[in-house]
Amino acid sequence: MILDSLTVDPEAFAAGTGWKSTPEGLCKGAQCVPAPEAITAAGQIDVSAAASKLNMAVVEDTQHGLFAIGPESGGRALTTATVPDLALTDSDGNPFSLTSLHGRKVLLVAWASW
Amino acid sequence: MVTVALDLDPSKATEWIAAASPTHPTLIDSHHLVDVHLGINNVPMAVWIDESGTLVRPPESASIEPSPLRDMEVTDDLPERMALMFTEVKKFPDVAEDYRAAIADWVEKGSDSRFALEPHEVIAASLPRPLDHSRAAALFALGCHLHDTVGKDAAIPFWKQAHAAHPENWTYKRQAWTLESTPAGESSDMAQEVTDSYGTSWLDDMLALGGGDTYGTRPAL
Repeated sequence: MILDSLTVDPEAFAAGTGWKSTPEGLCKGAQCVPAPEAITAAGQIDVSAAASKLNMAVVEDTQHGLFAIGPESGGRALTTATVPDLALTDSDGNPFSLTSLHGRKVLLVAWASW
Repeated sequence: MVTVALDLDPSKATEWIAAASPTHPTLIDSHHLVDVHLGINNVPMAVWIDESGTLVRPPESASIEPSPLRDMEVTDDLPERMALMFTEVKKFPDVAEDYRAAIADWVEKGSDSRFALEPHEVIAASLPRPLDHSRAAALFALGCHLHDTVGKDAAIPFWKQAHAAHPENWTYKRQAWTLESTPAGESSDMAQEVTDSYGTSWLDDMLALGGGDTYGTRPAL
């Protein structure tokens, strides 16, 4: 997730990381992490505080005024076996939803021209 | 079958796709989101997804045919670096035929296939993700953003840091390196000698991590 500020609205944080702000804390799927310090008085997400609670790395590009958040860490690369609905496009540039393949077995193969 | 091309420049992938004329969905993942969300760290790798959208196998090296490179003779007249590279390539773990048979077994038997894992097994079989790997993902994403909005040179410092933070992630490396090593008009450069920009090469990094024997994530069949 690329940001130009370390204070973001909860909807944007959820869209970028999958973690939603709820009364129970920051939640993703069945997992919730209490994080009152990550919610500002204005109801925004304090990204540094949230990232600390979720073991997410935050990196900064001071020249361009940008930040980037990495995924949660401390366990395995997969935290769930449920495939997320990644924002990918097909080779014609059209949005493609992996959930559109439900009902069929899928062999998803990652490759590259390099 | 769904293929996902990890190409920062989609046109590099679409020229291959056009040549292949596939009938399955062909997706583009320019910023390597599958690394973050599925644990991919090299290509070719694959995951198996059942009808409910649940992973039944973690990311694993995905070869279904033995590579012809394994049968290539390493002759004395080859340049030293090339000979060393081919020698290591021939050491890559090869379970292509077993992997192909496993796929066929799962297609036929579904959840009754011994190769279809339970969710907790899939998660446990995925690679560890320490904070450094999260940092690498953030750095790589920042580099991709800068590549797209400012230019390649703005991205390189962050990609270098990403490589250092997660040396085993070959998509971050090979994607960045190909922008330096691939001659104009060519599709790719297998050797990826990028000493000038990155101070290393595919061969040197592979040797540093243990050589061909340890390259890739061998399917645990």
